[in-house]
Amino acid sequence: MKKKKFTYNLTTFLLLSPWIVLFGVFGVFPILFSFYMSFTNYTGLSSHFSFIGISNYTNAFHDEIFLIALKNTFIFVLGTIPFTTTISLLFAVLINSKLLPLKELFKAGFFLPSVISMVVISTIWLYLYSADGFFNKIISIMGFEPLHTSWLASTKTALLSIMIMDVWAAIGYYTILFLAGLQSIPEELYEAASIDGATKNSIFFKITLPLLKPTLFFVIALNTIRSFQIFSEIFTMTGGGPANATETVVHYLYITGFRRFEMGYASAISYILVFVILIFTLIQKRVLRSDTI
Amino acid sequence: MKRYLFLGIMFLLLITSLIPLILMFFTATIPGGSITKVVTHRYINNFEYKYKRLLRRKVRPYNGAKYTIINKSPKSKKSLEITIKKDTLQGVSLLTNDMDLRLLKDLTFWIKTDTIKRIIIRLKDVYGNTTDVYPEIRETDKWQKIKITSKDIDTKRINLKHITKISFLVKSPKDTEILLDDVNVVYKFPTLLNFLNVWKEDMFWRYMLNSAIIAFFVVLGNTIFGIMVGYAFARRDFFGKNFFFMLIIGTMMIPPQATIIPIFILMKHLKWIDTFYALIIPSLVTPFTIFLLKQYIEQLPRELEEAAYVDGANTFQILFRIIFPLSKPAIAVMGINTFIGAWNMLFYPLVMTSSKEMRTVQVGLALYQKLNQVDWPRLMAASSIIGLPVILVFLVFQKQIISGITKGAVKG
Repeated sequence: MKKKKFTYNLTTFLLLSPWIVLFGVFGVFPILFSFYMSFTNYTGLSSHFSFIGISNYTNAFHDEIFLIALKNTFIFVLGTIPFTTTISLLFAVLINSKLLPLKELFKAGFFLPSVISMVVISTIWLYLYSADGFFNKIISIMGFEPLHTSWLASTKTALLSIMIMDVWAAIGYYTILFLAGLQSIPEELYEAASIDGATKNSIFFKITLPLLKPTLFFVIALNTIRSFQIFSEIFTMTGGGPANATETVVHYLYITGFRRFEMGYASAISYILVFVILIFTLIQKRVLRSDTI
Repeated sequence: MKRYLFLGIMFLLLITSLIPLILMFFTATIPGGSITKVVTHRYINNFEYKYKRLLRRKVRPYNGAKYTIINKSPKSKKSLEITIKKDTLQGVSLLTNDMDLRLLKDLTFWIKTDTIKRIIIRLKDVYGNTTDVYPEIRETDKWQKIKITSKDIDTKRINLKHITKISFLVKSPKDTEILLDDVNVVYKFPTLLNFLNVWKEDMFWRYMLNSAIIAFFVVLGNTIFGIMVGYAFARRDFFGKNFFFMLIIGTMMIPPQATIIPIFILMKHLKWIDTFYALIIPSLVTPFTIFLLKQYIEQLPRELEEAAYVDGANTFQILFRIIFPLSKPAIAVMGINTFIGAWNMLFYPLVMTSSKEMRTVQVGLALYQKLNQVDWPRLMAASSIIGLPVILVFLVFQKQIISGITKGAVKG
């Protein structure tokens, strides 16, 4: 009996072993070690480093570029999420409409940009935004004065341009999530409401939206986590420029950690980022999960 | 009526949202320029010079011929007059620097002669090889347009990629003058050459190969290990099972940037930087896989397993003979989504590679793009060949991809 139990546990352990090893080495260890590193002046270049307390954290809040990066990241997150959420909800409602044939085609079509990597998308939009590119041409066709440089070359338009691109790139993904949420709402509810004489608008605001609340929370939470991590777009399109106008936290983390090899400092930045994301998610949970339907 | 209007609006919306991708594919096939200025031809020389000394930079005499600019032209203002002495091969050479003529469709020029019936067009490449073309001149004493197509040129004898000189040579029985104007290269359009160039010359074949190798092993690892771990979480009892499962879901939320620095240091100590090990091993079993397969295996009927167990099969036999075939739909969902994830990642391979040979497609494109910011056709060709595999996978496996996303969403 005892032997059987031992064999059972051993088999379980064997089944779990790939995860235990990988999670230990590439999950637990890095998280703890990077927390430790954030209190040191580790450079990655030499093995000599010392414990410097919370200096990395206090330095971060005196580091002008880091503060700009933090500000830009906040602008990016707060500026894109309302648009992405509203537009993708609208698309989902439109696709879900009974009047629309070829639903699968529209679903796939709108989703298509989401499978393409951010590097490819950034390269395409770099081209569209260029001085003699598509957008400048459209503007001059419409009779306005185009920008005579790339939209990404001006401190006024660079971040905004990246935000517009990101809204475009993210819509399809969240449309699919909203569609799944919409399709899980039972048909009877709509039927009952229309028998009771409810208008289309009141059905949407009184039935659809409240029942979509879990999806809405999930979409916004996921989008927040992803948007805070914006990196590929910045790395590909601007490298943080012009004049730090598009510097973001993760891009700055990359620069400090892997260009300047201030790895202790970069670790501190990563922990500040995790903390910020955590706070944001908790706030959203409070706001959206309150059970007042 | 209302229905059709709605459908029409939706189509319009869809096409608008796909414009960037359409422009990418279109631009990849143009010979030069950009969407707003497609370059379909280029003058090698139209001889509209204000000063003769400017002409000397672009035109050289051949075998002592004399030449000058005169105010006669079929289309514009000026043309080149070449004076030929009798019985010697004379003419002019137009310098083209280092011109890539692989995209040449036609070479056209205007000419006017009184007696000459044949002219030799001699192309010379940077290695000194030459090849001749002998177009016929039909009429005399009249401006006429001569067209040489790419088929007339013997491409085996010269390297069309590096053309330095195009000479116009004539042998005449008497002293004569010929007029030459608007020497023009018409490019092939649409063309697939941009794809070929980025594939071969710009090493994208290598980046694609690297990414394919990584994606293959990552998907393989996730299939084997995912089944094992997913099964353990779905069917077996062990200490702290629920806690660990919550931990897995929790780790999906942690930004990868928080762990990358220690992983980089670890890889450096293992001397795995710039090797496939660093790019494959950490992703061999991901939280997404475990989550997806656990959920799927949990709802499979237990009877088959129990029957097999009674027949004396051990756990691993049950796992790979029974659970694996039954889980194929979930494995497909996991595999396709994992493939796309592995193909599209940038941050991780960017940090873990240092040599050009080990770059993945995304790292390759991101860095290539920084060096080729004005060569849009080539850049779009590079983007297209990197985007194409995932687009194809998506078109074939849409259902699995979308289901992977919505299944991942249910957990919230």
